Amino acid sequence: MTSVAASLDVVVSPRRRAEGLVRLLRRPAAAVSFVVVSALVFGSVAAPLVAPYPKNQFDVNHLFGPPTLAHPFGTDELGRDLLTRVLYGGRTSLEIAALATALAMAVGAVWGFTAAFHRGWLDELLMRIADLTLGMPVILLGLVLVAAFGSSTKSIILILGILFTPATARLARSSLLAELETDYYLAAVSVGAPPWRIILKELLPNTTPVLLARASIVAADAIFVEASLSFVGLGVQPPAASWGTLLERGYSVLYSSYWYPIFPGIVILVAVLALNTLGDNLQRVLDPARR
Amino acid sequence: MGSYVLKRVAVSIALLIISSILIFCLMRVIPGDPTITKVAGASGNAASVRALRAVRHELGLDQSLPAQYVHWVGGILRGDFGESYYSQFPVTKLISQRIGATLELAVLSLIIGVLMAVPAAVISAIWRNRAFDALLSAFTAIGMATPAFVTGIVLIVVFGVKLNLLPTQGYVSITHHPIESLKTAVLPSITLAIAIAAPLLRILDASLDDVASAPYIRTAAGKGLLRRQVVMRHLLPNATIPALTMLGVIIGSLLGGTVIVEYVFARPGLGTLVVDSVFKRDYAVLQTLVLLAAATFILSSLAIDLLYGVIDPRLRVRGSEAAR
Repeated sequence: MTSVAASLDVVVSPRRRAEGLVRLLRRPAAAVSFVVVSALVFGSVAAPLVAPYPKNQFDVNHLFGPPTLAHPFGTDELGRDLLTRVLYGGRTSLEIAALATALAMAVGAVWGFTAAFHRGWLDELLMRIADLTLGMPVILLGLVLVAAFGSSTKSIILILGILFTPATARLARSSLLAELETDYYLAAVSVGAPPWRIILKELLPNTTPVLLARASIVAADAIFVEASLSFVGLGVQPPAASWGTLLERGYSVLYSSYWYPIFPGIVILVAVLALNTLGDNLQRVLDPARR
Repeated sequence: MGSYVLKRVAVSIALLIISSILIFCLMRVIPGDPTITKVAGASGNAASVRALRAVRHELGLDQSLPAQYVHWVGGILRGDFGESYYSQFPVTKLISQRIGATLELAVLSLIIGVLMAVPAAVISAIWRNRAFDALLSAFTAIGMATPAFVTGIVLIVVFGVKLNLLPTQGYVSITHHPIESLKTAVLPSITLAIAIAAPLLRILDASLDDVASAPYIRTAAGKGLLRRQVVMRHLLPNATIPALTMLGVIIGSLLGGTVIVEYVFARPGLGTLVVDSVFKRDYAVLQTLVLLAAATFILSSLAIDLLYGVIDPRLRVRGSEAAR
């Protein structure tokens, strides 16, 4: 019995998965984005190693310094090197984005899969709830949730997770519904494979790529919204610093030292663009109709 | 047609009621008692228990939740949205003071955004030039990835700080001083317009592409029409429907977009009022603004849906059959 079910595994084999990655990286835009995202992650994780200055090295002789060779991004209000601060800020921004994405994907997947399995009233209820929250502007809902949960780093992760869960649930539901129509699913059911096995070994691996593409876009949105909240002073709070808080500090001295907010702004833009492009290309590679 | 309209209106009203309940519940979850801010704010120090209780009674916060909800909704139906917990002005007054700046920004940026997206998509469909198309897709990708504060800051630096051409802060009422008003609105409107044009262009391009492979387009080209005529008469009218949906979504969430743009350009509009009321935990103001946003979204999707019925006869028939 077990052997029959095992032989039926139509899971994407490791080799085919590797082929998918090659196909993705053969697209120039995807390859560049992949390199950019890797570089940003590396720069943040290895900030203590690659940053040109120690984390909090003050220099009272160079307050609000313009970009120079010694300080490519300039210096801040305490004479700290802004490139160093951007690298360390990436730790906060990327950590928040990664955890919020993981939260949104996990809850969204369970939510969507539950709806897809239990068509009928539960499906209807779960999806109507998702629709309701999808109707609100994200930033506005984010601000209301900040009012409700506060703006500690943990709250921000929770808030971003909540914001992106409904859309993920919709996608998880539709991709699972598509899998439930397939022959391999019918075959697995008809040979009597237990439900947990069908879910873990058949359905999950086949919906994972679609959800991964989505995760890349959610991460981009999370960086975007975290930066927006921090920019109006309602996101990451000092002394913690994300790209958004650097931008907020820089914005307050925009008229005297305009380069201060520009560089964190560009880094946010590049990160969001790269993650979006990666997600878009992944979707295209996966969708045979658009290949 | 009549039953289709009735059904859509009924659904919208139901959505509005559900949203109001959700918003009300959400606001009651907020920790941090607004009455403490209010009493402490008035006397400048810790609040006495009796003063707190008096204020809670005055604001109706000592009633049960359903009673509070009915009181709130009853007030709204009479045009009374309550008073700010912080400044004690009626919420309607705060909103009417601020709505001008937001409306001006919203209308201008919508006009500029549509004027950027539609001609670009049409030119791309007529011209079919690879370089131009690549340029457009770069614009949409970058436009969708650029947070409004980055666009805003760049525009302030270039046009305000470097060239000193345009004002970068504040708001002048259009009835007071039309020219000054438009000048202060230029940079914020362009900032928001880019965020509007990018997704609109993307969807318009995709649907033009989809329709382009339809048999009737080949027929139109085959009977000898100029490319320009094919695009304007056959392609464009059929490709506008998905773009209209997107436009509805954009209009519905404009209030979200204005939050950041108004903040960057220090415009005293509804967006900055949202940020202020979150900072001050002024939930009488906040719940009204969120309800306003929800109503805007629901009404704009209702309007777009009804518009479909007018422009697309197929939907009209299918819609009324579904309603039966």
